[in-house]
Amino acid sequence: MSVMASRTLGPVGAVMVMGGGVGGIQASLELAGLGYKVYLVDSSPSIGGVMGMLDKTFPTNECSMCILSPKMVEVASDENIEVITLADVLGVEGEEGDFRVRLRLRPRYVDVDKCTGCGDCSEKCPARIPDPYNAKLSETRCIRVPFPQAVPGAALIDPDTCRWITKGKCGNCAKACQAGAVDFGQREREETLRVGAVIAAPGYRPFDASRKTEYGYGVHANVVTSLEFERILAANGPTLGRVVRPSDGREVRKLAFIQCVGSRDVTVGNGYCSGVCCMYATKQALMAKEHLSSIEPTIFFIDMRAHGKDFEKYYNDAASRHGVRYLRGLVSGIRERQRTKNLLLRFLDADGRMREEEFDMVVLSIGLEAPLDMSEVLEIKTNQYGFAASDSFVPIRSSREGVLVCGAAQEPKDIPDTVTQATAAAGLASQRLHCARGSLLTRREHPPERDVGGEEPRVGVIICRCGSNIGGFLDVPAVVDYAAGLPGVAFAAERIYACSQDAQEWIRQAVQEHGLNRLVVASCTPRTHQPLFRETLRSAGINKYLFEMANIREHCSWVHMREPEKATRKAKHLVRMAVEKARRLEPLEEGESAVVPRGLVMGGGVAGMNATLSLAGAGFPVYLVEKEEELGGLARNIRFNAAGGDVRAYLEDLIRRVEGEELITVLKGHRVKDISGFVGQFKTLVEDKQGRETLLEHGAVIVATGGGQYQPSEYLYGSDVRVLTQWELEERLAEEDPSLRELKRVVMIQCVGSRDEERPYCSKVCCTEAVKNALALKRLSPSADVYLLYRDIRTYGLREDLYREAREAGVVFARFADGEQPEVLERRGNLRVKVKDADLGGEPVGLEPDLVILSTGITANPDNAYLAPLLKVPCNAEGFFLEAHMKLRPVDFATDGVFLCGLAHAPKSIEESVTQALAAAARAESVLCRDKVVAEGVVAVVDEERCSGCGMCVRLCPFEAVTYDGEKKVAAVNTSLCKGCGTCAAACTAGASRLQGFRSDQILSQIEAAAAAWRD
Amino acid sequence: MKSFSFYPGCSQLSSAREYGVSALEVSQKLGLRLNALRGWNCCGASSAHMTNHLLSLALPARNLALAKKTGDDLVVVCAACYHNLRSARARILEDGSLAARVEGILGADPRFEGRIVHLLDAVVEEVGLERLRDMVSRPLEKLRPVSYYGCLMARPREMMDADDPDNPRRMDHLLAALGAEVRPWSYKTDCCGGSLSLTRRDVVAELVNRLFEAAEEAGANCMVTACPMCLANLEMRQSEARLRFKRRHDLPVFFFTELMGLALGLEDCEEWFSRHLVDPRPLLSPYTRA
Repeated sequence: MSVMASRTLGPVGAVMVMGGGVGGIQASLELAGLGYKVYLVDSSPSIGGVMGMLDKTFPTNECSMCILSPKMVEVASDENIEVITLADVLGVEGEEGDFRVRLRLRPRYVDVDKCTGCGDCSEKCPARIPDPYNAKLSETRCIRVPFPQAVPGAALIDPDTCRWITKGKCGNCAKACQAGAVDFGQREREETLRVGAVIAAPGYRPFDASRKTEYGYGVHANVVTSLEFERILAANGPTLGRVVRPSDGREVRKLAFIQCVGSRDVTVGNGYCSGVCCMYATKQALMAKEHLSSIEPTIFFIDMRAHGKDFEKYYNDAASRHGVRYLRGLVSGIRERQRTKNLLLRFLDADGRMREEEFDMVVLSIGLEAPLDMSEVLEIKTNQYGFAASDSFVPIRSSREGVLVCGAAQEPKDIPDTVTQATAAAGLASQRLHCARGSLLTRREHPPERDVGGEEPRVGVIICRCGSNIGGFLDVPAVVDYAAGLPGVAFAAERIYACSQDAQEWIRQAVQEHGLNRLVVASCTPRTHQPLFRETLRSAGINKYLFEMANIREHCSWVHMREPEKATRKAKHLVRMAVEKARRLEPLEEGESAVVPRGLVMGGGVAGMNATLSLAGAGFPVYLVEKEEELGGLARNIRFNAAGGDVRAYLEDLIRRVEGEELITVLKGHRVKDISGFVGQFKTLVEDKQGRETLLEHGAVIVATGGGQYQPSEYLYGSDVRVLTQWELEERLAEEDPSLRELKRVVMIQCVGSRDEERPYCSKVCCTEAVKNALALKRLSPSADVYLLYRDIRTYGLREDLYREAREAGVVFARFADGEQPEVLERRGNLRVKVKDADLGGEPVGLEPDLVILSTGITANPDNAYLAPLLKVPCNAEGFFLEAHMKLRPVDFATDGVFLCGLAHAPKSIEESVTQALAAAARAESVLCRDKVVAEGVVAVVDEERCSGCGMCVRLCPFEAVTYDGEKKVAAVNTSLCKGCGTCAAACTAGASRLQGFRSDQILSQIEAAAAAWRD
Repeated sequence: MKSFSFYPGCSQLSSAREYGVSALEVSQKLGLRLNALRGWNCCGASSAHMTNHLLSLALPARNLALAKKTGDDLVVVCAACYHNLRSARARILEDGSLAARVEGILGADPRFEGRIVHLLDAVVEEVGLERLRDMVSRPLEKLRPVSYYGCLMARPREMMDADDPDNPRRMDHLLAALGAEVRPWSYKTDCCGGSLSLTRRDVVAELVNRLFEAAEEAGANCMVTACPMCLANLEMRQSEARLRFKRRHDLPVFFFTELMGLALGLEDCEEWFSRHLVDPRPLLSPYTRA
């Protein structure tokens, strides 16, 4: 049901995304893929946000920029995403379907269309400013490209320090710029955008650590924030990745991390938990040790919040195998030793004794605060901490229809949860706007492709100067001359900036004028520029795969800056290699396959139903397959969520909507028997209890098979009726069981069936569940003693308020150490609980409760094990499905067309399942909304005559793109799934498998060319 | 410059007489108009709160009532009196029925709403550091003090109005304006054990020892304070510390007003310095000989 907001034409098929961090980037890419025009607005000069400043990300320890910049490049090259930087949103008027967004555009003083980011201007700029990208730990010039991977990759001028702008002097940059991009005439202006929806992803403000005066941030040189430390760890940071301290630049040995700085702290007005600091401190400790093995990190914490997928393992490994020391107890104050500038930290140790320990450097794990002005600018309600007030079941919904919020601005959270919310927001927006899908897209029109088959290769070679980046360090004309003399080269020329707009036009003309049928550009990296030049070649009527790049910047001029002769020689060799390959390149086709515009959702729980409704809401028919006779899944056992929302009512409403929707076909009591096909063309065989089979055809699959509840046999559960699970207690609470009022003493035990040998993960929801129920018990029976025995309390994010409320209500929290589980016994008819209180030095405590409540964990669905091979997707060691990429693709699988949500992925709360389901539906929608799936040209092909059918490539392919053809007894590549990674080609001993565009003869020719050039 | 009411406090007349005298003389020299409250009484900072709750409020409240009548802001010299007057005022202003009770006892309205300012802040705000610098005739170049504010001026955070409860800077800036080489250190507001000075000398010895060790590590040759209790404690217990920890400190401790007097060229200062338990005169000889 699409919104008809205006009287005339229906909703506007465009969306504004406010904030260009990872959330905004993800939402933009998703929306563009769904067919909407996107305005990506950011107040800083480049997209990338905080993630762009991180060195590594947990729990995979991958380089942050390495996984983010490809997405940034994708945004840059998508003609339907308009990136508007240095812009502030002033107000949003109108309503869903037709908003008018007012923007204030601040002047950059550089023309983005002309600037190529070469950096010549910065070289000549005399004014310096503290570099915000390096957390102000180093200086940069007043005119500069914010960081190397910036998008837009253009410079900007800081108006407050610029000598021309403030005093009318200097102007060096304008003189140095060979593209004439400096423009001091720019002024602030306003603009209005018309969009159908707004997605707010403004991120967070880091807590100002100087507010915690006892830590001496800003006073003691060697006390830094986690963001500053992240820059210190980064290879492109102020210390080039050396872990040295600010006061004297010496290497650090004893490193302390202090958690919860600005979080869980009512004295600074932030009672909530920032959710990510426990994990990021662990990561920083590990990475610091990786840089310098002699570092001894200590993390001072209250509770270790390792509640996400794979976090517990990460934490355990850090403690047991990588030498990170975890000390439970916060530091009360930091004092500085004046001679050495070392820090003295005062704290209570595990035995309750006051200790003082000396460290070389201290990192404050600062919390995440809400961005400012959200409520004013977007006219949405915010909570007492300034985060967007949201629907307790659908957190991305703000208080205003059509304005969706994602990421830390909604609640502090990590990257995968942000990416999931951003994707979900795109999907939710699409549900409202889908009748305007595609209405505002621009599509590039190209002339027909000329058939170059049979022609002699005529290679055009463009040598780029890149301003002075290349031109200043090697003899470009000499390289041009050399290129002109190479066999096969019909045209060689140089250009100051090969990547500029006007250069594309010039290249196109050159190709046509000189009848070129191959193109080589010798410039920078194909990672950022290959798509651009391929498009240019195509616009000249030549197949885009007849293009090759030689990197004579990153691989040459930038690393051989002081040796111009050698650099020139190397550049010539690199060009020769590229030309040799180019001569052997052949046009490649992009295969197409049809898409069946129907979805299939496996599992009819909260996640499955939401995904189904979402797809149907976007106009697609969906099959919902549920193995039980009833819909609802595990949520049927839950009565209330943490915010007090009525889960049963929510579930009933969901079921009613699913069963009432025409586009949805519900198949209860059906199991999946077999799945074949691939993205766009799946065939799923389902079977009911009577064995009757039905074949379903669909273009995408969403796996929402849910999870289970751990069934305890310990703690007398099952043998004593007074021992219950939290869900059983919740049922009684909801029914207002009168016996609950008589209770004198209740003991709750956490981590039952979680964080143990068999299930070493955290079930994430149990701490919140227990605290919620404890509060409910106290409300019902205020004089009852409620004890909660725990290992860590993981009430992350805004749930921390519940924990504080519980303490204030008199719930007693007692900690037991890992390995010292409580005992539950029966003595003369009474229950007895024995526990060693770890905060009292292990003092044994005996309790005689009326009830013992077990907080049982979430288990993986055993069905996953048989479904996974059918779907050709993997599961992790704990039995949950394994997504394509833990950080940036949390609902995808490596296998195209299959998506994941809910407990099938990992333990999570109901609202998190809902969000993930909306995200999975958005991803599925991006497949279904196309009329065909277009494959890449660079794919593997199998020479059937040479293939022996050994099956090696079938086993190796990470994308399940290679199958064994039983009839022909050879391997077959599905080009729709093939990603061109080349693994099969490299593994094939018979040389039957070849990667198009990277054939052996092509690569060998490059090697021979290099060798020959060297000999010459 | 505006005029202030002035609350001297008991120690100014006796055990910290050098503080009292120097404070008044320096204020006069700087042109700060301080009018002592007529009929002021002991504020009860040392023992009243352990004796009788109401008494501990009524004693300072009587002074607040006196201050209220003058209509001026109130300057206090002793850190303990300062703390006590502020906290009593806060309680009275927030609890109406309590205020009424106290008013009944005193026969006067104690709801003083003017500012209660420490002399240190009054100098910095009213006189200004620039003016102070200009008036210095004997810059204290060879002095390397650490500023010791003590706990009472900094905590509780919400009540005390310090520029930074863990790293206050006013005294540091003031001493720098006098030409001294102020040494940075982290113990500015650490407890000296003053309230246990008579009952738990072992605890005090440890706390005092730690302060002096830190001061020496910071390269200081003296300590400067604004609290008479602290100074007494710091001076008296250095020998205790020496006994227990076998470390000799012998670090002179000054009131900031004494050093101000010295730098401003006041004649009487020699007399004040003779009253100290740890003789500061050797350290000050470069200045006093002239």
